[in-house]
Amino acid sequence: MNDTMSSQNQEHATIGPMQARSSEALNEVRIAIRNLDFFYGANHALKAITLDLPDRQVTGMIGPSGCGKSTLLRVLNRMYDLYPGQRATGEVMMNGENIIAPGIDVNQLRSRIGMVFQTPTPFPMSIYDNIAFGVKLHERLSRSAMDERVEWSLTRAALWAEVKDRLNTPAAGLSGGQQQRLCIARTIAIQPEVILLDEPTSALDPISTLKIEELIDELKQDFTIAIITHNMQQAARCADQVAFFYLGEMVEVGDAAQMFTAPREKRTQEYITGRFG
Amino acid sequence: MTVSQTAIAVTASSEIPTARRRSSAVGEAVFATLARLAGLFVLVLLGAILVSLLIGGIPSFRAFGLSFLIDTAWDPVKQVFGAAVPIYGTLVTAVLALVFALPVAFGIAYFLTELAPHWLRRPVGTAIELLAAVPSIIYGMWGFFVVVPLMAEYLQPHVIDTFDGIPVLQDLFAGPPFGTGILTAALILAVMVVPFIAATMRDVFLTVPTVYKESAYGVGCTTWEVVRSVVIPYTRISVIGGIMLGLGRALGETMAVTFVIGNTNRISTSLFGPGNTIASLVALEFPESQAGSLKLSSLLALGFILFVISFIVLAISRMLLPTAKA
Amino acid sequence: MSATLSNPLAGPMRDSSVAGRLSRRRRRTNGIVRVLCGIATLIGLALLASILFTLLWRGVGGLSLAVFTHITKSPGSGGGLLNAIVGSLIQTALGTLVGTPIGLMVGTYLSEYARQSMLGNVVRFISDILLSAPSILIGLFVYAVMVAPAGGFSGLAGAVALAVIVVPIVVRTTEDMLRLIPVSLREAAMALGAPKWKCIVFICYRAALNGIATGVLLAVARVAGETAPLLFTSLGNLNWSLSLTQPMASLPVTIYQYAGSAFQDWVQLAWVGALLITFGVLALNIVARVALRARH
Repeated sequence: MNDTMSSQNQEHATIGPMQARSSEALNEVRIAIRNLDFFYGANHALKAITLDLPDRQVTGMIGPSGCGKSTLLRVLNRMYDLYPGQRATGEVMMNGENIIAPGIDVNQLRSRIGMVFQTPTPFPMSIYDNIAFGVKLHERLSRSAMDERVEWSLTRAALWAEVKDRLNTPAAGLSGGQQQRLCIARTIAIQPEVILLDEPTSALDPISTLKIEELIDELKQDFTIAIITHNMQQAARCADQVAFFYLGEMVEVGDAAQMFTAPREKRTQEYITGRFG
Repeated sequence: MTVSQTAIAVTASSEIPTARRRSSAVGEAVFATLARLAGLFVLVLLGAILVSLLIGGIPSFRAFGLSFLIDTAWDPVKQVFGAAVPIYGTLVTAVLALVFALPVAFGIAYFLTELAPHWLRRPVGTAIELLAAVPSIIYGMWGFFVVVPLMAEYLQPHVIDTFDGIPVLQDLFAGPPFGTGILTAALILAVMVVPFIAATMRDVFLTVPTVYKESAYGVGCTTWEVVRSVVIPYTRISVIGGIMLGLGRALGETMAVTFVIGNTNRISTSLFGPGNTIASLVALEFPESQAGSLKLSSLLALGFILFVISFIVLAISRMLLPTAKA
Repeated sequence: MSATLSNPLAGPMRDSSVAGRLSRRRRRTNGIVRVLCGIATLIGLALLASILFTLLWRGVGGLSLAVFTHITKSPGSGGGLLNAIVGSLIQTALGTLVGTPIGLMVGTYLSEYARQSMLGNVVRFISDILLSAPSILIGLFVYAVMVAPAGGFSGLAGAVALAVIVVPIVVRTTEDMLRLIPVSLREAAMALGAPKWKCIVFICYRAALNGIATGVLLAVARVAGETAPLLFTSLGNLNWSLSLTQPMASLPVTIYQYAGSAFQDWVQLAWVGALLITFGVLALNIVARVALRARH
């Protein structure tokens, strides 16, 4: 697996379409988390997290339930702002700015860091409007440019062929797997730099799961991806680097292959071999 | 492919124009302010109702003082007005209405939650809710044209004869059997209030977790014993809230009562005798009251008293029943 | 059989005859309660049937085209209810139009901006009390603030009184419906970078649309039949008038005036009016409930 991944990375350097961002982005760090602490009221949920999310790679996050993985993801797009009593300290650097500092335009931040949730959440509108909704928040496009953007995002999300003839039908009419791909399309339509996936396939059947995993593999050519999963095989398949979380701490982070064959920490070893879950 | 165009679009979208950022903040502030103002509006509305009734009633309060509350006179000629008769009528009809309504409402709620076969529950439940939707003036007309003749011909003469000679009861059920009166008004109010209390009780009974009921059945309880020992204690507080809600509605009913109460300004000992409630008195006397007159002021004062009574009853109900029914 | 000593784990034996007697008595009580509750339900249904039947029996006889084409006239000259019907439609429509946006905003405030706050709880409390407040007092209130200062009754005052009644109903429904929207849907919209107000207006309102519309329908059904508030505000008008600054006729007020009169044709018209209102209101209720059930 190590070999295929490094050869793929080399292809990205020459063929990847989003070169407008940065051509030597390969080893650049898109998001640098430094000493992040998070509190739910008095509950110290994340402890001194330090983690790099490399550009255009998939970072997998594994660990037992309630260990802070979702919490960390929700810090990255400031979702915790919605709820009083939740606060974060430390630094999360992106493009030279600390995104958890006050004074950051949160709506704009969320256009740069997108999130896909565990349960598919189609908006109560047509498929076309679902995609257009997010785009209209941040850009003014002509009708034809919007049509193009909708087609592009649905194609990248491997959904175009299935819905191209019914773009104006309600999104609620799609199957679960299709709805989740719609949510992915909706997220990439606003062209973020980072995509956060919170257990995106845990509510889906195996075939939809497989399709989405293939999707992730393609999407990482253009987007930096962080994915939470309870399925370690999925982490092994999809991720370039994997971070193991336990009780609010990040125990270990490393290359995916190395993590699953020769982890450094004992706790990681025990989790991976199923000693606890 | 459109990839190159998209690549350009990517750079462009990385910088959100500042104008859009500003207008988004403005939109957010405007909407939030509108919402908060709307919330305040409700408070202002309540205050305005209370204040306007109070101010309108001040001339009357000033003229009669506290004796307004216990004076039974209502004399437009001598310009003496007292609130005792309508207050008495309001309280008596409402309480009597509850006494009649409670058993029926409970029976309906029990039927709907425990006894009825499942296919029957929705239609019967809907029928009861439709009964609640009938406008009160219809109840008034039905009361006047259907119930009053029935009372006058069958119920009242029969009861008067039956209780004739028995010390207390003969005075309680005396008088010419016109068919109208306090009791009739209470009956019509009871019919109006039954669907509200029944629907509230039903909803509240349905909140009892099945496990509790099943554990009672499990030791061999009959349905009645399950309701008596599990459902009612569990829902006791909400049931009282529902009863208070019914009381609140009964206190303020106008049209249902105006037709049948007899519109007479005295407190009669007989339940078959005529009387007035605050609402019926205001409705009947208003057309003949001139603006700025003492009589009108007394009517507004009566309205203020009714508002205070209703507010207290409804507030208690709301505290016991956390969610209101529209 | 003295089982107590031979097997200490068996416990005291139950006296089956006592249990049997108790059981019979308990079953009898249960049966009596059943019958009583059945009777109570039958009473309730019979009352509904009686009301509907009376309306049909007394009202259908007076139904004719003249009811809808002639305005109210003095007894004996063969009038109709046209001005009353139109006046009711105007005041109900106007009242709903004014009250619904206000109720919508308050419901939005309670659900989106003030779920836990002290002020929000007070507003919620007050709104629920206004929901059940006697409508005659609303009429008196609007009289005191609009009619008395202006010196005259008006259709506008009537509409305002109805609007005040509509507001708490729409508030309750809107808040309940908005609260039903799952957090994940809101978060998905916010995650795209939508400001809160766009999330509410474009996502939440759309998702709750059916429920809110039902609430509005129920509000319309409620105010269409209200008499007391109109008595003090628009007073009623026996002539044809569409002016909002003049007294305006309405069906419930006309029924009230006619039903208590001594004239047979007026009483007949009152029954026709009652029939129209009741079946209109019931139809609205059924439509609203069917619509609500269909989408859930």
